[in-house]
Amino acid sequence: MFGRILDQGRYCFLNPKWSLFVENYTVKDLMVPISEYASVPEGSTLFEAVLALEKAQEQFDHTKYYHRAILILDKENRVIGKLSQLDVLRAIEPRNEQTDKIDDISRFGFSEKFIHAIRDKHRLEGVLMENICEVAMKIKVEDFMQAPSEGEIVEENTSMDTAIHQLVMGTHLSLLVTRGEEIVGILRMSDVFAAIFHAMKQCEINKDR
Amino acid sequence: MKELEKLFDRIIQRTTINLRELGYNVKPSVWSLIPPGQMTKFYAFYGITPDHPLNFQFRHSGLAGSYFLGRCHVTNSLLYKSDIRGDELKKKGELFRFQEFEIQVSKDEEILIEDSALIKTLVHNFSHDPETLEKFFIKDTVSTHYANIHGSPSDGCFLGPFSTVDLTTIRDCVIGTFSYIQAGEISHLNIEPGTIWVRSPGNFNFLYRYPGEQLKKYIYFAPGDQPQGIFMDFVNDRKEDFQEIFEVVNFESSVSVPGSASLDRYAVTKPTTHISENVLVSQRAYLQNVWLGKGANAQENCYIINSRLEGYNVTAHGAKIIEADLGKNVFVGFNSFLQGRPDCRLSIGKESIIMPHTIIDIQEPLSIPAGHLVWGLVTNQKDLEENSLPVNKFSEIETRFSKGNLVFEGSGRSFVKAFQDRIHHILEANGAFFNGAENKGHAQRNQNISFNTIQPYPRGSLKGLYPTIVIQP
Repeated sequence: MFGRILDQGRYCFLNPKWSLFVENYTVKDLMVPISEYASVPEGSTLFEAVLALEKAQEQFDHTKYYHRAILILDKENRVIGKLSQLDVLRAIEPRNEQTDKIDDISRFGFSEKFIHAIRDKHRLEGVLMENICEVAMKIKVEDFMQAPSEGEIVEENTSMDTAIHQLVMGTHLSLLVTRGEEIVGILRMSDVFAAIFHAMKQCEINKDR
Repeated sequence: MKELEKLFDRIIQRTTINLRELGYNVKPSVWSLIPPGQMTKFYAFYGITPDHPLNFQFRHSGLAGSYFLGRCHVTNSLLYKSDIRGDELKKKGELFRFQEFEIQVSKDEEILIEDSALIKTLVHNFSHDPETLEKFFIKDTVSTHYANIHGSPSDGCFLGPFSTVDLTTIRDCVIGTFSYIQAGEISHLNIEPGTIWVRSPGNFNFLYRYPGEQLKKYIYFAPGDQPQGIFMDFVNDRKEDFQEIFEVVNFESSVSVPGSASLDRYAVTKPTTHISENVLVSQRAYLQNVWLGKGANAQENCYIINSRLEGYNVTAHGAKIIEADLGKNVFVGFNSFLQGRPDCRLSIGKESIIMPHTIIDIQEPLSIPAGHLVWGLVTNQKDLEENSLPVNKFSEIETRFSKGNLVFEGSGRSFVKAFQDRIHHILEANGAFFNGAENKGHAQRNQNISFNTIQPYPRGSLKGLYPTIVIQP
């Protein structure tokens, strides 16, 4: 697959031109197969999800880019959601009536500086970091995961230029790759960026020749 | 289905479509609020004076119990006991200032009400939207009991009972019960009940949220029911007094009114009411045992009972003052509810500003010192300390401030000045500074007003609707 080709440093040899890259290669060439991605069954705790992420990263060391999300699977091993790093941070943030009020205030045109000042004022009531272990053992992944939206799903035979457009328009960090109804892989923005970077470098090398 | 019900259904549908992003369905909230029988029961009326423009066009609309002044077009709409006051609209050739721009008004401004249902709503002032200077539009909008649409064009909105939008263009918004919004321009917001928000971008931002459970005691609105609470009980208890003056064609008040003051014939006055020079009392105001000093005013839907106002007092639309003594230049904002008791009166020192939608409801005497800014819910001295500040202290705020349920960002000085300038402008517009020759305002211009009534179809498929009517000079 394209992703593997890239990992072995052969990308430049096989695909020296950017136009060929976007025209001739599809999403499946660059995706990470779902079997190599971090996943946990629904009902898992936040802590179990983070362990799964660590384990997946150890096994998947082809690039310097780390996995940044955990997939949540139902009983039939279908993907029902994705837990990103941001979701994990959101999960361990202290929540109470006061924080909800502060979140609500932000709708009314107050400056970020002002919101931060109020948040700091009330932070003493929070539990962030102090009992992080307890929080991580208690929270269920489905409470903070994001269900995949339509714009986050891409068919495996989609061209790279279409996939790039989808990443840009939706400001997604990754797309879920489907074959028919089944999710078979993840197209990560980090891999797409690496491929583009190599294509750019190759343009420069060709110009110098 | 009769034409009137079809029309109501259509208005509700159009408003709901506009609010689909917020997931707000208007129908359960208002379907029962206008019983079709009520729409045939009351006549509509309009005022004619030599000092006001005259241009009314009513098409395919119900107008029961509503009042019109100035320039107003109503199309495909239902108005129930609403006041549409077009006496402050812009005139052709005037200059409208917005930021660094001076924009010339190209033709006389008009209030345009289309595909909307307004229930006991006040519409007043002029459009402050620089994009629509000549059209103060209200379309695809449903507003409910005692809402104020003040200088605020509205498109696709729902306004809850006792809510106010002031000098703000609103699009696709739900304005919760008893919320007051003055924010320039807002869209796609669902404002919870009891939100008091005054924002001038780059200058200041004032936000107070009423404690939900405590507010419910005063006003509560749930879909399918009439609004409930102390506010509704208060106005319902005095409803019959208004019925009496609306039923009589030529009504003469026994109250002595100086030549420079005006008392609207559709205001209720009960003994012993004293009206000084330059006082303005608007229609649907209610005065009982009241002393109004020079230049004081009582605007639409105000109730002032057993109280003394020393002079130059603004009692804004919908405000209520009971068993209270107010010094000179005290401002009481929209829909405020100030309730002292015979054995524990409320006293407010001169030049104090009672913010719009303030509730003061006391069981022991309370004295607000002169020059204070008061907001929110005050039931005792402790609440007053939490929800007030001397005006000069508020002016010292330079960056941010929070106290109780209030958060404020920006310049306190700008905020106070904006209010003080506005109060001065209101007094000026109302004729409080009339000197016998100059500075005429509403108090002087409204003196010789004639009222004409118009009636809907009494029966048949168009029952409750008015025929197309064009009234021009």
